[in-house]
Amino acid sequence: MPRYLVKVEGHEYDVEVQYRADGYAVTVDGSPVRISTHELNDTRSVLLVDDRSFEVDVRSNGHDESRVVFMLGVEIAAEVEQYHLAQLRKRAGIATEASAQKVLRAPMPGLILEVKIAEGAAVAKDDPLIVIEAMKMENVLKAPADGTVKTVSVTKGASVEKGDVLMEFE
Amino acid sequence: MAAKIKKILIANRGEIAVRIIRGCRDLRIDAVAVYSDCDKSAYHVRLADEAHHIGPSPSAESYLAQDKIIDAAKRAGADAIHPGYGFLAENAEFAQRCIDEKIIFIGPKPETITLLGDKLQARAKALEAGLPVVPGETIEGDDLKSSIAKADAIGYPILIKAAAGGGGKGMRVVHEPAQFDDALQRASSEATSAFGDGRVYLEKYLERPRHIEIQILCDQHGNAIHLNERECSIQRRHQKVIEESPSPVMTPPLRQRMGAAAVDIARKTGYVGAGTVEFMVAEDMSFYFLEVNTRLQVEHPVTEMVTGIDLVKEQIAIAEGEPLRYRQEDIKLDGHAIECRIYAEDPQQGFTPSTGRLNHYRIPAGPGVRVDSGVVIFNEIPIFYDPMIAKLVVWGSDRAEAINRTRRALQEYRVSGLKTTIGFHLAVLENDRFAKGELSTSFLSEEFPDNKYEILDDDILRCAAIAAALNKFTHERKISLGPKRTDREDTSQWSAVHRRQRLRWFGGSR
Repeated sequence: MPRYLVKVEGHEYDVEVQYRADGYAVTVDGSPVRISTHELNDTRSVLLVDDRSFEVDVRSNGHDESRVVFMLGVEIAAEVEQYHLAQLRKRAGIATEASAQKVLRAPMPGLILEVKIAEGAAVAKDDPLIVIEAMKMENVLKAPADGTVKTVSVTKGASVEKGDVLMEFE
Repeated sequence: MAAKIKKILIANRGEIAVRIIRGCRDLRIDAVAVYSDCDKSAYHVRLADEAHHIGPSPSAESYLAQDKIIDAAKRAGADAIHPGYGFLAENAEFAQRCIDEKIIFIGPKPETITLLGDKLQARAKALEAGLPVVPGETIEGDDLKSSIAKADAIGYPILIKAAAGGGGKGMRVVHEPAQFDDALQRASSEATSAFGDGRVYLEKYLERPRHIEIQILCDQHGNAIHLNERECSIQRRHQKVIEESPSPVMTPPLRQRMGAAAVDIARKTGYVGAGTVEFMVAEDMSFYFLEVNTRLQVEHPVTEMVTGIDLVKEQIAIAEGEPLRYRQEDIKLDGHAIECRIYAEDPQQGFTPSTGRLNHYRIPAGPGVRVDSGVVIFNEIPIFYDPMIAKLVVWGSDRAEAINRTRRALQEYRVSGLKTTIGFHLAVLENDRFAKGELSTSFLSEEFPDNKYEILDDDILRCAAIAAALNKFTHERKISLGPKRTDREDTSQWSAVHRRQRLRWFGGSR
């Protein structure tokens, strides 16, 4: 039976899913949950969890294991791993591929105003790295995690498009 | 009496253009939109009776290009131009150009815009009208030593403000004399680069003030009234985030005094049209004149909701030369209204703009709910303009009901494709201090110091986890079943249709 370890906002859930003729059989952390789901299109569906009603929009987040769930007016990031792989990974003491963010990408098109860190520098999570101007606002891009800057791909004054790689870490 | 306006060009975009188009159509006046390259399929273009292209996407070449807008107005045969807010709304030169071209500018006279746009002159007028102003000093032509002496006389903390300022630019808070020199230099150079005018002045910095403003309406015949207050204390970086009317701390006598002060300055400056007189209110409820905004405000709908008055309709009537149709005693205050400004920004990343395409967009509805949206589904949010995509305005019979309805409406939103501030608004509405109405302009920095908020309980996170797991499961299942199965289904359905068609044709039933 497919079994997943799902990480949402720091919480972990053990979710087992089985597809049957009469719908999905789902257990969360070992307890069965009643599910009714109706797909509206590729990403959107109406989901009832023990009769509690949600309209959800689930999209892949550039990685096979990461998802973005839009529900109740907010956006929730989730990581979904095969349960047995997650256990192996945990035993080996390594972070998930999706959470070990190795690159910093431009979140929006804009102009690079300042690069605060040079290659080879050690950074801590949330350290300011780059100042980018977009929509007439200055925005500070911060380190996604602790690490070392491997490459810096932009310099001051460069124009970047959304999704461009700005820095790589190791 | 001047002739009726038949056609109005709206020199703006986004939600305010939509709002004004609706106002025109309610009066059966033709609405003319203008648009830049990236706004070809914008909502305001789709709703207008006519739309004229005015140039490339950067606002300097389109929405700020006075020649192009005047040309479009002439081409369309518009009798009037409504500037909305932002862009050319408080540009005296543009207002004068409209007059020169015999086009009605829906707003105050150019000289009023000039006078009130200069904070020093506005302050002087306010003093003349007997309004309380924050203790302060001009330091034009002073050397550093006498400026420091003036600062000492006012008492720290001091606020250094640009005379031509707005939007927090050229503004510095100074807590002690040692910081004064540096702060003065930086405020002045920032003011020079932002406004081309380096003049600054000093003001006593009020700790934890409320921002409360009075809506005014003045006709061309000297009649002036106020339409109650709006409280706009929920601000981030001097930008308003949530506004409401009435203010939770307002009393009828204070409203009467602040309203009278606002009407006084309007009369003193020969104000015509809709405007807003902004005040700071200290913790002891003493109030101080801040400035006059010579335009329709972003937050005008909260006033419309509690007074029942359509401000765009009144602006148009005033521009036509009609006398005000309300006297002060006709202005009612019914219930409570709250506005949330919905931005395409990511609150978790320091409110960085979030650009992209609205893959899904469904707005709330139901009792008391009004959404002034500038976008529709599948619109791209361009990087060139303000990232506000919509305003949610909610009415309730009292503040508690308005809060509950706003919360409900925010939860009804379905937006995907971009990040928005909807979740952040929900967090503010769930805040205890907000519920009690204990507001000040430092509310957000005090209550949400890192912009962090938690509105999701374990139960919801668990459901999100299930949704994500089901998505991965169906994704894997589709891959393992392969495309063949769907192909076969498609083929069989099409052949069935084909067979039926052939039978019909051969059967001669056509």
